[in-house]
Amino acid sequence: MNFCVCIKQVPDVQASVQTGRMVLNAYDASALEEALVINQGSEDRIDLVLVGPSSASETIRKALAMGASDATHLVIDEAAALDSHAVAHLLAGHFKDHTYDVILTGKQSQDSDAGLAGSMLAELLGLPYATNAVGLKADGDAMVVTRQGDAGQEIIEISTPCLVTCSNDMNNPRIPALKGIMAAKRKQIATDTPEVPGSRTVITTTAPPPNREPGIKLEGEPEDVVSELVRRLSEEAGVI
Amino acid sequence: MKPILVFLSVQDGRIKRSSLEAMTRAREVASEQGADLHAALLGSKSSELATEASNHGATTIYLLSDPVFDSHLNAPVIAGLEAVIRKSDPRLLVMASTEAVKDVLGSLSVRLDAAVLPDVASFDVAGEEVVCQRPVMAAKMLATTHSSHSLVIVSVRSGSYEATPSPVDATVETVPFVFDAADLGLTIREIVSSAGNTVDLSEARVVVAAGRGVRDEAGRDLVLELASITGAAIGASRAVVETGLFPATAQIGQTGKVVSPDLYFAVGISGAIQHVAGMANSRIIVAINKDADAPIFDVATYGIVGDCFNILPLLNAELKKALA
Repeated sequence: MNFCVCIKQVPDVQASVQTGRMVLNAYDASALEEALVINQGSEDRIDLVLVGPSSASETIRKALAMGASDATHLVIDEAAALDSHAVAHLLAGHFKDHTYDVILTGKQSQDSDAGLAGSMLAELLGLPYATNAVGLKADGDAMVVTRQGDAGQEIIEISTPCLVTCSNDMNNPRIPALKGIMAAKRKQIATDTPEVPGSRTVITTTAPPPNREPGIKLEGEPEDVVSELVRRLSEEAGVI
Repeated sequence: MKPILVFLSVQDGRIKRSSLEAMTRAREVASEQGADLHAALLGSKSSELATEASNHGATTIYLLSDPVFDSHLNAPVIAGLEAVIRKSDPRLLVMASTEAVKDVLGSLSVRLDAAVLPDVASFDVAGEEVVCQRPVMAAKMLATTHSSHSLVIVSVRSGSYEATPSPVDATVETVPFVFDAADLGLTIREIVSSAGNTVDLSEARVVVAAGRGVRDEAGRDLVLELASITGAAIGASRAVVETGLFPATAQIGQTGKVVSPDLYFAVGISGAIQHVAGMANSRIIVAINKDADAPIFDVATYGIVGDCFNILPLLNAELKKALA
């Protein structure tokens, strides 16, 4: 299968203190890992496309080092202000003259958690799609996607060309080896500076959520602590 | 203002509680704005659920009855909602943020030429703008986001509002719908239900969630017993799902389900940011962990420092007595 994986550079939200360190979106890393596993031993391509500022080329190198073939960087310096609608339109422009069997994206990005760009892109390109994949295989000309639904897992056969958005529950992305890192340094990253489409949603403020009321730690002998908890759940909290 | 249309998700023959929560908020906003409240029901037995929709305030209910809606495929839902939108012509389309809704939200917005405010904790209409607050950065931050686009779709996190009835007389309209699944490019091969989790996590009033501290089958049995005593749905952290002790459908957190029950037991869960993002809005949180410094205690209403293997047998016995 010829794949293109759409990747994004995001702040490291898992860090307890924000230092401005930027990383490859974990869901996108899983999407790339899955493509690498499916294409193991095959000559088929796994290309990358990223929408983001010039500094995001560092993230493209990291993904190339994992084993991707080629990359295109759609350079937008004010990318942080783009909403999913704008990003999907930029990507759709790229895919007008780049065709693949399967386009993969992360199911959401770790910073905005919107989860929209993938299925927006599928609709703009007129492709069948599946979201929230936790398993992916090629089966002849089709892909078989296991997606996590509300009440269970849904196993869907989807004809190519198609688009699949990936969960990070499907695999543990590889750490690039030295050989991959060296090879990635020599690779040419194609760049393009498309016109910035309008956004339909605007973030006015971002602030920490209100703190929860501080709780209490119950201390003492286990028997006493447990009785005290049950008493409080019943009398104080009224939940049992 | 033009109407507010609410898409009601149905599971196991019932309208999901999270949809009724979203509907209750939509009703308040509609009333403030002098707008009508419409509802859309898609499913082979949608007509049986119209009364529940009018009991929650919908004055016009659009029904699409077709077995294809029971198939778990995204394309028919998009086509169905497109047909309802043409009839209802709303300012706002509101739905609960379920996995099935997340599956269609982006493509639906492109199809309808709409703006989307996804996975919000609250929303309102102020003049020309639809305004919402939504958790971002793994729920460490709350972003106030707005759109003045002519059609806005809002998906609401479960537990953000309380569902209350408000019965009205309603007009029920069946929308003609023909769907040809032949050229979809999608086929369902199999649905694997999560066995053993009889209470739906995102709808549950009580959740018992297990973490890495629940080390083995014996620990799992204690967790299952606590859930059975309290009538709880069973959740899990990603770490313990990876060990295979709990199914992936039980995973709570940024990648899994978002829950906000009245009572949440975090058993042997350290409280990593990705997990807390999925449960921090629970009303009462009980944390049991042997590490006194575990971050879960920062969000817990009641914390017990101790090994769950020592605490749970005592707690289960005590709760059995209290609930007998």
